[in-house]
Amino acid sequence: MAKQVFDVIVIGTGAGGGMAIKTLCEAGLKVCALNAGRKLDPEKDFRYHRMPWEMKFRGLDDPKHRSESYGYMDNEYTKAAWEHEIPFTTAPGTKWMWPRCFAVGGKTNFWGRSSARFGDIDFRAASLDGYDVDWPVTYDEIAPYYTRVEKMIGVASTAQNRPSNPDGSYLPPMNFRCIDRILEAGARKVGVPYLHDRIAQLTQEHEGHPACHFCGECTTGCDVGAFFSTPYFLLPKAEATKNLELRTDALAKNILVDDNGQAAGVAYIDRKTKHEVEVYGRAVVVAASCVESSRIMLNSKSRHWPNGIANSSGQLGRNLCDHLYGETARGYLPQLLGQPSFPDHVSDSTIAWLPRWQNLKDPHEEKFVRGYALYPDGGCADFPWYANDLDGFGSSFKKEIKRRFPTPVTFGIQAPSLRSDTNYVDLDPEVKDPYGIPVARLHFQWDENVLKMWEHAKQVSAEIIRAAGGVVEGAGEAPEVPGYSLHETGTCRMGNDPKNFVTNRFGQTHDVPNLYVCDASVFLGCTDKTTTISILTFSLRTSERLIENLRRGEH
Amino acid sequence: MAGQGIERREVLRILATAAAAAQFPGFSKWAFACGHVGNGAAQIKPAAYRPQFFMAQEYATVERLAEMILPTDGTPGAKEAGVAEFIDFMVSRDTEVQYRFRTGLTWLNAHSERAFGQPFVELTPDQQTAVLEPLAYKDKARPGEEDGRSFFKVVREFTVTGFYTSEVGYKALDHPALKFYSESPECPHKDDPEHLHLSRTS
Repeated sequence: MAKQVFDVIVIGTGAGGGMAIKTLCEAGLKVCALNAGRKLDPEKDFRYHRMPWEMKFRGLDDPKHRSESYGYMDNEYTKAAWEHEIPFTTAPGTKWMWPRCFAVGGKTNFWGRSSARFGDIDFRAASLDGYDVDWPVTYDEIAPYYTRVEKMIGVASTAQNRPSNPDGSYLPPMNFRCIDRILEAGARKVGVPYLHDRIAQLTQEHEGHPACHFCGECTTGCDVGAFFSTPYFLLPKAEATKNLELRTDALAKNILVDDNGQAAGVAYIDRKTKHEVEVYGRAVVVAASCVESSRIMLNSKSRHWPNGIANSSGQLGRNLCDHLYGETARGYLPQLLGQPSFPDHVSDSTIAWLPRWQNLKDPHEEKFVRGYALYPDGGCADFPWYANDLDGFGSSFKKEIKRRFPTPVTFGIQAPSLRSDTNYVDLDPEVKDPYGIPVARLHFQWDENVLKMWEHAKQVSAEIIRAAGGVVEGAGEAPEVPGYSLHETGTCRMGNDPKNFVTNRFGQTHDVPNLYVCDASVFLGCTDKTTTISILTFSLRTSERLIENLRRGEH
Repeated sequence: MAGQGIERREVLRILATAAAAAQFPGFSKWAFACGHVGNGAAQIKPAAYRPQFFMAQEYATVERLAEMILPTDGTPGAKEAGVAEFIDFMVSRDTEVQYRFRTGLTWLNAHSERAFGQPFVELTPDQQTAVLEPLAYKDKARPGEEDGRSFFKVVREFTVTGFYTSEVGYKALDHPALKFYSESPECPHKDDPEHLHLSRTS
């Protein structure tokens, strides 16, 4: 039997892979998509409409298994979605908290949905403040792709006309709640913007997808598809073309090369049979998410690529960046004491944001370079966590819990780490996964710059709460452990110089022209914005470049 | 609340499930889940409950503590929400917490015996309150009772968790997640951005 050769093999079905799969299939290319985990069954796996008392452990999960949990998202609501079989390790001194979703759709099943565009202030950051290097792209060339992605996925927001966050084409915004109006007034006094977040949550029916019903449980999976995820928005379109063969439980092991060292396909483990399988293609797209993509490429060693495929620069796996997250202030708004409960919970992450306002006029205005964003939260949320800080017991205690229910507020920071030689991913020389494949080892510390942002944000957040008439009760003792944001970037950075960058400005690897990277690993780092919409945007652009190259007979 | 009450939720449920059913395979679960308000079938009946971890007197003490922390006082409390069962169930699966409960309960009974000559559950309600107050209020704290205070904190945390993750607790808060909303809920106090002139309801 002649060996089957697909046009393209895509590793991963998350934001980057999903966009590549859809774009390539719609262009008439035969695509084989490999996904390391299974397909989720929304009926069983999404428990977002279950109330806590409808679950055995009230959503808190079995205390017996808590020590095996990978963190805050790995809970009873989304129990089956997170990867536990394939380990990762950390270098001495590195802490890394990291729930990974290997299921079809990846983290888009449960993401936070904040969807702001990067701008020239991000792409040209190095020219502005002298740190690191510029991106090899300009906003003008990326903007049309953002517009197309926003139309595909539906993003609710307002035009804000600010230099740090370019405006896009938006659905009507989520409405501001009482807590937003109060904090907005406080932020105005402090001189800080308080605006509608850009949020991929459908405030109206969009492109055949139903409007949100505001149940407020988005990050446990939406089975009506009222926010973007690849299984609801992109993969059905790819399947409709009949050009897609999706292989699940297919754990990519390494990229196969031909006699010239070019990509010939992918070797993967079929996790059901435990056998190694090879699949061949004219081109390969790696989109397994930043760290996993690096792991696969580093594991792709051959006589052509002794240090991992497309790694002649030595930069594969280097330059790992992440978002620092953490609670910069918590308190309450006495104005709302005893008010009737209000549906503050209708988006479980973001309705408003405080987009970067630092270092805009002068890149060295602050004690740190670049900038961060803040996200407010609060009001009548899932659980009266503040109760444990109150005094007493009995009727007065119970009454006070009810009285305080509408009042809590918190701020969370999203701050980019700076590129560093000491933050990177390599292969653990000793630890292998159950299939004998070396696992990823993380080396990561927060840098001084990002910790200055954290201190700055704590001060400003407290000021805003006070200016809003609120009472500040504390803040997180320390930022969250690295990995928490799930926003890793930078391990296959794009750049024009093959000596210093893994991919070119289109996400095509310099060394292996028929190998493309479609996830956040091509980004030069994190910004004050989230990553998903930019992954989609850059993946769309890379996929179209790939189509063009195939048409021209280059691969 | 902009008229977004429970009846509206019912209308929305019909509209949204119909729209969703046309396209999405997850429909049946969603429709099922919409019916869950007021459906307490999954709850354990207190009468039938047999403690899995605590011994009889320990369990009676936990029950009494939970009821004192969140009493039935015209509105439902820990008793109606089955909080003691929740605590026993969770503690039965958590060895670290088991130790804290067992030593804490021992402390509480020894302390009650010293003060009033009886274990905690045998005391009069006034005596029980007198035992708990120094443990629960910062300004009534007494030296030498640190272990008791830290135990009371744990019991209170478990009680609060058990109550406010129950249907009874959600209703007590009038929790907004008991309803769905057809549009993104909006602050109704447009003329008062700082909310300095709201009427006091309680």
